[in-house]
Amino acid sequence: MNVVKLAAVVLVVLAPLNAAAQVTSDRIARAESEPANWLTYSGNYQAHRFSPLTGITRDNVAQLKPAWIYQVRRTGIVETSPIVVDGVMYVTEPPSTVTALDVRTGRPLWTYSPTIPTDVIVIGSPPVNRGVAILGNTVFVGTVHGHLIALDAKSGAVRWDTVVDDNKFGYYLTSAPLALDGRIIVGVSGAEAGIRGFLDAYDPATGKRVWRTHTVPAPGEPGSETWKGDSWKTGGGSAWLTGAYDPALNLVYWGTGNPGPDWNGDLRQGDNLYTCSLIALNPVDGKIKWHFQFTPHDIHDWDSNEIPVLFDAPLNGRTRKLVAMANRNAFYYVLDRETGEFLSATPYAKQTWAERIDAKGRPIRRPATEPSLEGTLVFPNIQGASNWPSPSYSPKTQLFYQAAREMGTYFFKGEPQYKPGEPFMAGGGRAVNGDDAWGAIRALDATTGKLKWEFKLISPPMSGVLSTAGGLVFGGTDEGNFFALDAETGKPLWDLQLGGAIRANPMSFAVDGKQYVSIAAGYSIFVFGLP
Amino acid sequence: MHAQNAADVEQGKKLFEGMCARCHGVDGTGDEGPALNHPTLTRAPDDEALRTIIRDGIQDRGMPRVRRLTDTEISHLVAYVRSLGRAARPAAVGNAEKGRALYDRLGCASCHIVKGSGGSFGPELTEVGLTRGPAYLRQSFLGPAEALPRGVSPVPGRGFTEYLPVRVVTSDEREITGVRINEDPFTIQLRDSANRFHSFRKSELKLLDKEFGKSLMPSFRGRISDSDSDDLVAYLSSLRGGQ
Repeated sequence: MNVVKLAAVVLVVLAPLNAAAQVTSDRIARAESEPANWLTYSGNYQAHRFSPLTGITRDNVAQLKPAWIYQVRRTGIVETSPIVVDGVMYVTEPPSTVTALDVRTGRPLWTYSPTIPTDVIVIGSPPVNRGVAILGNTVFVGTVHGHLIALDAKSGAVRWDTVVDDNKFGYYLTSAPLALDGRIIVGVSGAEAGIRGFLDAYDPATGKRVWRTHTVPAPGEPGSETWKGDSWKTGGGSAWLTGAYDPALNLVYWGTGNPGPDWNGDLRQGDNLYTCSLIALNPVDGKIKWHFQFTPHDIHDWDSNEIPVLFDAPLNGRTRKLVAMANRNAFYYVLDRETGEFLSATPYAKQTWAERIDAKGRPIRRPATEPSLEGTLVFPNIQGASNWPSPSYSPKTQLFYQAAREMGTYFFKGEPQYKPGEPFMAGGGRAVNGDDAWGAIRALDATTGKLKWEFKLISPPMSGVLSTAGGLVFGGTDEGNFFALDAETGKPLWDLQLGGAIRANPMSFAVDGKQYVSIAAGYSIFVFGLP
Repeated sequence: MHAQNAADVEQGKKLFEGMCARCHGVDGTGDEGPALNHPTLTRAPDDEALRTIIRDGIQDRGMPRVRRLTDTEISHLVAYVRSLGRAARPAAVGNAEKGRALYDRLGCASCHIVKGSGGSFGPELTEVGLTRGPAYLRQSFLGPAEALPRGVSPVPGRGFTEYLPVRVVTSDEREITGVRINEDPFTIQLRDSANRFHSFRKSELKLLDKEFGKSLMPSFRGRISDSDSDDLVAYLSSLRGGQ
């Protein structure tokens, strides 16, 4: 047998294994066709956080039991959203550790912890990580010291380690990257340290940066007229949560965060583009195709990084390609995702700051809602009516499920003082919490934002939701309850106390033909299945 | 370290509002970060420990390290943070000794623990003079329903009303009244006036009434004289733990 023939035989033998192991962007684009896996942060590129699995149903969910529990190795807030590929679950642990687990048992297969300097600067959130991306045979993680690291999916060995930007100035990463064909897209955190936000694309093979798109334009660039003086230099606009992608339009949708400093807008007069916006970019070159600003000149820290959810629906007699966001500012927005055209905005939680949203989508603010020296009570609160935890869209019910936060804050204005790598917020809040705050899982008609049902919670939630083809919505509470509701009616069908606050996103996968649901709570990752 | 004074506290307040208030809340009332308006802080038993936390942060809990503060600025922050949880020692209006005798005579100890002694139905008062000013202390026995404390601990949750009276009727028609100990959307835990714990699934109750605006502590308004009130406030103010 000559060498060529031998190679051919080896290829034939190995090809199926390699093919199964390779996570191509085509596979991610067809995530619905392999519901046993969960290939990207939100389950699919459209960011539905919906599982087509039907093993766990309204009728049997009451029997759900823990299958295994994994405890993280270092305490901290566990906000991870697992990825499952071909029998392996990839999770992150605080602050920036990646662990691969056997999905059958929860036994670790490998773990990787980057060396985080002791003087790492993380201002604006706890030092958390929300998950990884996978492409080919490589797992990608952003770190709190501002690196993007590529790990071999089988061993955790480092393929490459790229500095996204200098942590000395407060740049850091918490969100799961988004893996596309030939591009790893990642957004930066750090607006509370007065960074200038951006979104980057990296070559998955080499870690070389392909493009950078700033969310705050420099003088001369479009939108720069919305910043006074040098304020753009510390303008914030972090891109700290994972966006969505439409393969047909070849557009990436990404939310942007608050302008800096948070609560004193005096030095940054103007709309402060593209903060508190949704931007649609071409992933090839990073060019912004359109933008929509939800909260011009934000002064309440209402980032618009929330998950943009893509779906098609009939509207006024024709099928439209839509993108929806339950914004931190308490309005549910529906836009045309080809053009960015504003279609509607409906409050989904209590808000006291806007008289209304005009025909172009611009809020008409109520007077005397700015932060002040004596404190101004405004709803929603600083953390907003929504935050990083994911919503869910079910193509079966065509409902948008949102964990809504009902809470106000007395907003205080302070004096801004910029020092590199230091907090740059200029104010704060006094929370109206306890029995005066609450929350709900709400089901909204995805196209109109109209409330279909709600399930009340006693605290504003910081847990995302998952909907399933089994007719269920899973969610969590700050008190540690993990629960399942009827997706049609909101009726509670199952709950279990997990013993620690749930500040994570649920997801679902299958192994050996059996469906499981996973959520992190306290210092552990739980997996539930039927007996 | 130099002694804390009003000017230090004022300087510290400015720094706090710029750097700390986002997580700890204006006035340290707590938000995403823990409340700091306690007389004692778990992780900072003394000022040196507090300086270390401000300087180095608490990495795994999300408290960032602050790099460029001078030692003096850190001292200002320490002075301010310490001022948040400590009610000033009030001017002596009443007589604490007489107040103590009154506390005994009124039977307060049947529901409150001071330095290890007393009943546990109501809040422990060993350090109440540190955490509460005289106006609140007076209100707490003249009109307790309007002065229910708001929790600073994770049980039942920061900002929740503590000692909230709750009345439930079970599916088998038992009626139980107690104070709320903990709650989540699906369950509630009570302690009744005999100090027994009860736990209920809300879906199995016929009635669940959280009686906001009420208190199971009796009001002493009209039952004791103004000078008795002064004496009782003086005694409660003198309860400052081991300090």
